[in-house]
Amino acid sequence: MKYTAKKIVLMLVTMILVSFLTYTAFELVSGDPAQAMLGTEATPARLAALREELGLNRPFLIRYFSWLGGLFTGNLGVSFSYKLPVWQLIAPKIEVTLWLCLISFILITVISLPLGIWSYRRSGKIWDFMHTAFNQLCMAIPPFFIGILLSWGFGIVLRVFTPGNLPDLHAHFFDAIRYLFFAAVCLAIPRSAMTVRMMRSTVIGEMEQAYVRTAISRGNDRRAVLTRHVLKNSLVPVVTFLGQTMAELIGGSIVVEQVFGIPGLGRFLVASISNRDYPVVQAIVVILAFWVVLTGTAADLVNQRIDPRLRLEGKR
Amino acid sequence: MKKHYNGYLIAGLIISGIIIIMTIIGMFWTPYSPTAMSGAAKLQAPSLAHLFGTDNFGRDIFSRVLKGAGTTLTIAVATVAIGAFFGTLIGANTGYFGGIVDDILMRLNDAVTAFPSILLALLIISLTGTGKKYNVILALGIVFIPSFARLMRTTYASYRNANYIISARLMGAGSGRIMMIHILPNTVRVLLPALTIGFNNAVLAEASMSFLGIGVAPPDASLGYMLSDAQGMFSVAPWYAVCTGLVIILLVFGVGLIGAGMQKQGSGVN
Repeated sequence: MKYTAKKIVLMLVTMILVSFLTYTAFELVSGDPAQAMLGTEATPARLAALREELGLNRPFLIRYFSWLGGLFTGNLGVSFSYKLPVWQLIAPKIEVTLWLCLISFILITVISLPLGIWSYRRSGKIWDFMHTAFNQLCMAIPPFFIGILLSWGFGIVLRVFTPGNLPDLHAHFFDAIRYLFFAAVCLAIPRSAMTVRMMRSTVIGEMEQAYVRTAISRGNDRRAVLTRHVLKNSLVPVVTFLGQTMAELIGGSIVVEQVFGIPGLGRFLVASISNRDYPVVQAIVVILAFWVVLTGTAADLVNQRIDPRLRLEGKR
Repeated sequence: MKKHYNGYLIAGLIISGIIIIMTIIGMFWTPYSPTAMSGAAKLQAPSLAHLFGTDNFGRDIFSRVLKGAGTTLTIAVATVAIGAFFGTLIGANTGYFGGIVDDILMRLNDAVTAFPSILLALLIISLTGTGKKYNVILALGIVFIPSFARLMRTTYASYRNANYIISARLMGAGSGRIMMIHILPNTVRVLLPALTIGFNNAVLAEASMSFLGIGVAPPDASLGYMLSDAQGMFSVAPWYAVCTGLVIILLVFGVGLIGAGMQKQGSGVN
């Protein structure tokens, strides 16, 4: 219990730090939001009125906390370029990005965990070399490059989906998922390679432990030792790694959404950066960062359930 | 001691060596001018005259790739240099001295690493302004500091109370001298593979950012920018995207193999 509480407190501290850093940074560069919304020809009286309305006359810390509160109530200010509430603009996009990351995450787990175990069983000089070379190759492929090839091959030649036209997630759920699937594959390839490599080295490291030697010398079957003992012990680093994977996926989704023309958070973020639409950029950056912190903490909490030693560590 | 034959290192050095040498040549000389347009030679497939073909303005893609790779390479090297230098500086001090500064900096480090690297780079770019080469270097450089700092902190902390360090301290060596002369050489084994990984991440991050149109903007074309250009004309000139993409892949692949080789070498020594 203490461990859980400690992790959650740490998470909250990190979240506050993250949002504070972002808020301060934008506060420093964004200048006067009232000016940005009204343009350069606004009269001083109107500017003052709008500043009052937006609450810009309040002290910095108060504004920060009211903005932070807004993250949970959905009141994140008004976009400079669309003149609409930020939350209204980004809420539908969160769903799209969430699905994209989720599909990709499932793909990575389904592909790389069995492959990691399989590649452990093929360990020898030649296999080792082929494995490392293939791995490095997969990691060298930029997701957007695969994206270009896939969207051309499956989108334009085979017409499995129409690039740039994501079906509505609610009306045509399966069409939308099929569209997102190809984007998810691009994200999954480099990261799967990393997961396989990580899994393999963990299992190899674990197999060299004394308890494995003992178990085998007592006459246990190698395969049974692997599945009953070694895999269980390899789980903790793998879960941590999968937590980090979620963070990487969020970063990668920004690029892949651009390639496939997916109207998600990342694409909107890029557009908003070009438009210097700071309230939107600020909101998206913080939401994505919170997402990363949350998944990291979730991974830690899962690990604590898997490995009792981690729970005891908190008690000491 | 038997000299180990390290296939990864050699293969990696050959692959990335070829690309890097060609890129360096490309900084001074290219077969065609990367910006010279030619109405007669539009959208030509790869041939001996145009190794990678030509684009919709009749520009030679091979020359453009060489120039673009130069930009990408410069940014990646500068970025890693910034990240490694400041990361080592911070990591060495926090790891060696520990204490409250260490705690605070590591907490800050956690907060910064909560941003996926590309997101952080975008954040910094959106603050400093888009489209400029130096802003990209600055943004990516800052992004790479925390990971190097963390790595060096762990390494320095592990040597802090090693016997030979204590003995150096007893002989009156100052902290600066211990950190620079006694510990730094020992960190090379972790630092070198980290540099190769950092370099690759920098290449991919720069390519992604320029692909998104917020990294390097024309006239400073980089490989990522060229790829986004190439996506638009994939059905008429697929060689544009494929050749540009292959250069990125080979560069990252080669350096990745070097890193893998160094890690193998490192674990073999112990």
